[in-house]
Amino acid sequence: MSEIRLEVKQVSKSFGITKALREVSFNINKGEVHALIGENGSGKSTLTNSLAGIYQKDSGEFILDGKEVHPHNQVEANNEGISIIVQELGTLDGLTVAENIFLGHEEAFVKFGVKNTGAMNRKATELLKKYGFDRIKASDMIENYNFEDRKLVEIVKATYFDPKIVVIDETTTALSREGREELYKQMNRIRSEGNTVIFISHDLPEVLKLSDTITILRDGVYIDTVKSSEVDEEGLKKLMVGREVSGSYYRADYGEEVSAEVVMTVKGVTVPGLISDINFELHKGEILGFGGLSESGMHEIGKACFGASFDREGSVTLADGTEINDIPTAIKHSIAYTSKDRDNESLVMNQSIRDNICLPSLDELSNKAHLLNDRKLKAFANTYAEKMSTKMTSVDQFVSNLSGGNKQKVVLARWIGKDSDILVLDSPTRGIDVKVKQDIYQLMDKMRKAGKSIIMISEELMELIGMCDRIIIMKDGQINGELKRDKDMDENSLIAKMV
Amino acid sequence: MNASTKTAEKKISGQAKGYLLLFILVLISWGIFKIITPDNFGSPKNMLSYFEASLLAAVGAVGFYFVMVMGMFDFSIGANIMLSAIVGCVFANRFGLGYMGLIVGSILTGALVGLINGSFYVKLRIPSMIVTTGLALIYESVANYIAGGVEQTLPSDLRAFGQMPGNLILAVIAFAVAYLLLNYTKIGTYTYAIGSNEFVAKNMGIKVNKYKILAFIISGAFLGVMAVLTISYGSSMVAVTGMASMSRNFVPTMGCFFGLAFKKYGMPIPAIIIGEFVINIIFFGFIALGAPTAIQDVITGLALLIIVTLTTKVAKGEIVK
Repeated sequence: MSEIRLEVKQVSKSFGITKALREVSFNINKGEVHALIGENGSGKSTLTNSLAGIYQKDSGEFILDGKEVHPHNQVEANNEGISIIVQELGTLDGLTVAENIFLGHEEAFVKFGVKNTGAMNRKATELLKKYGFDRIKASDMIENYNFEDRKLVEIVKATYFDPKIVVIDETTTALSREGREELYKQMNRIRSEGNTVIFISHDLPEVLKLSDTITILRDGVYIDTVKSSEVDEEGLKKLMVGREVSGSYYRADYGEEVSAEVVMTVKGVTVPGLISDINFELHKGEILGFGGLSESGMHEIGKACFGASFDREGSVTLADGTEINDIPTAIKHSIAYTSKDRDNESLVMNQSIRDNICLPSLDELSNKAHLLNDRKLKAFANTYAEKMSTKMTSVDQFVSNLSGGNKQKVVLARWIGKDSDILVLDSPTRGIDVKVKQDIYQLMDKMRKAGKSIIMISEELMELIGMCDRIIIMKDGQINGELKRDKDMDENSLIAKMV
Repeated sequence: MNASTKTAEKKISGQAKGYLLLFILVLISWGIFKIITPDNFGSPKNMLSYFEASLLAAVGAVGFYFVMVMGMFDFSIGANIMLSAIVGCVFANRFGLGYMGLIVGSILTGALVGLINGSFYVKLRIPSMIVTTGLALIYESVANYIAGGVEQTLPSDLRAFGQMPGNLILAVIAFAVAYLLLNYTKIGTYTYAIGSNEFVAKNMGIKVNKYKILAFIISGAFLGVMAVLTISYGSSMVAVTGMASMSRNFVPTMGCFFGLAFKKYGMPIPAIIIGEFVINIIFFGFIALGAPTAIQDVITGLALLIIVTLTTKVAKGEIVK
């Protein structure tokens, strides 16, 4: 029998009146990858954040190797042998790569109060080399690197000191294929050294492939712990949702003719350094997918269509001849956009759900004197938040208090409320659980049938294959191929054009 | 990957680019006034005296940088300089402690003011601008009380820091300490970390409140050094009230803006020093021109806005507050 590394005993945590964790108890063994799954808001991140000292639990115990641990911050957690790679960005601007890696642990490089920057850089360089991230320079400012490279720095930061437990919270969705492979390699290394990985992911095939054991949480309550080898995807979905996830996951139709009516024409669009000479047409009732590697330029396509790109050349024209060159014109002409970086580009974090949902619809919600009625705003926000099954105490709750998936629901609720005709959805299901994913896919299908047109940008190839009428593959800022909806299409046909 | 390599390469030339920009600014500001008033402006000797005068504010500005880079502000800079200078003068003169009294009295007073600012800000949990504005009124009154409403004059035998090489030595020591603190101690790392994302910094075990108070103390101590240089250079200090000390805030704050603008080139402290020099060239240029004060203020204000706008190249889409 495996040795127990961590005992989670009766752990509870509340945020105001929301009970995020209710007396959760289970064990995690040494030398295993232990996945933690559940719907958005099920308490996975709350539990691991409490273990890593980011949150303070209300009651219960974490017993690590037989000793109770109660860290008050990440450094204390590190000292106990626990580290975490968080879902969003965990590195700090204004510091070098080396300073970020050793933040909170500078003592090793300080003598008589003076920091030995050279020694710190040398040690960081050594680590980066050991991990195979040589291209990242220890003395460079961290802001010189992109999101993915910064995530790689976080991997080094969280694992270089051989912690007993490493929490990886929904990190893979932020990484490209190459970055994911690096992460998987590190996970295997940690396991082979007898340490433990707590792995949070909504990607069930990935969970089944990588983990040894899986614990399921639902609404802050412990449901079950199962061996990965003894369960399949459908079984996990059932455990997560509490019932069979019935009906089709993706679209079931094939061979349907897309309307010939063009609603948007993109001609010669170039954004210097990002995309070059992009041409395509979007049809009425069509779901047009964009796929590619993270840096292929596909994310910029969404911005360009929404008038949000800087220094854009070329034209984005609607069927009535309207040129989309700025965001207000785009919104006025019924275009919606959800960004991949939802916390920074889609949501006003320190505002209520109500304000976030109503934001682009304020003109429609105001009366003739341009005054707003609080009750009307609340009712509007409530309608669409509930339509998206947002887990919230009320629409007055701050968006910053919501889980990642529920934040995404608020973003989508905003545009559904606006009843936009063209939706540009960049990574719409990023960090979203299986049940809500299915809801979003069904919603997209419904919209398509209602004549709405959707541009779907995604790094998840299966959802592109499952949902789109056409898929355009981007490579190095240019279109590198187009594939029509086909029952026999598989990931390999897309990957061949991506790399 | 290409993007990261490219940016890394860009970084290598960052400092050189920053120095070049500052050199161009010095050259332009000198050139304009030299053309307009060639006889009584901008000789090498004049330039040296402008530089000497700029050292005063540069010392205060490098300390204030610790506060500003964390995203806080201090409206009591002027009151601090005034109070520290008066206390230093009283220690040196009235208590007969000489240079030791002047330096220790001024620096300790400055640091104490910083400690009070920081503690009130952290404990009251209200914006630093409001806290320091309120406290500035109190510092002015305390200074006035200590001075007994009389102008405090530093005896001529205690004014070595008002001229070369005393002023330069003290300023260079101050710059070296600031550079050391910023680049070779935990304080510098934590200052940037807190300025970047306070929440993440807290999660890294950084005692955010402690370092915020420390930033105010460091800033205060440097303003204390500035007080030594100021009273030594001007020989006396009047304890004004009714927020009149605010007029002393402007120059160190502007120097600090240079530091923030050039932070991305990895050279905030040299930028503050050269930035203050540029400000003084403009000031003395107007004096040479004999322009009325109102016109001087309008043009100085505009010139500084232009300089900071041109040197602060904000990335596309970056939000400026």
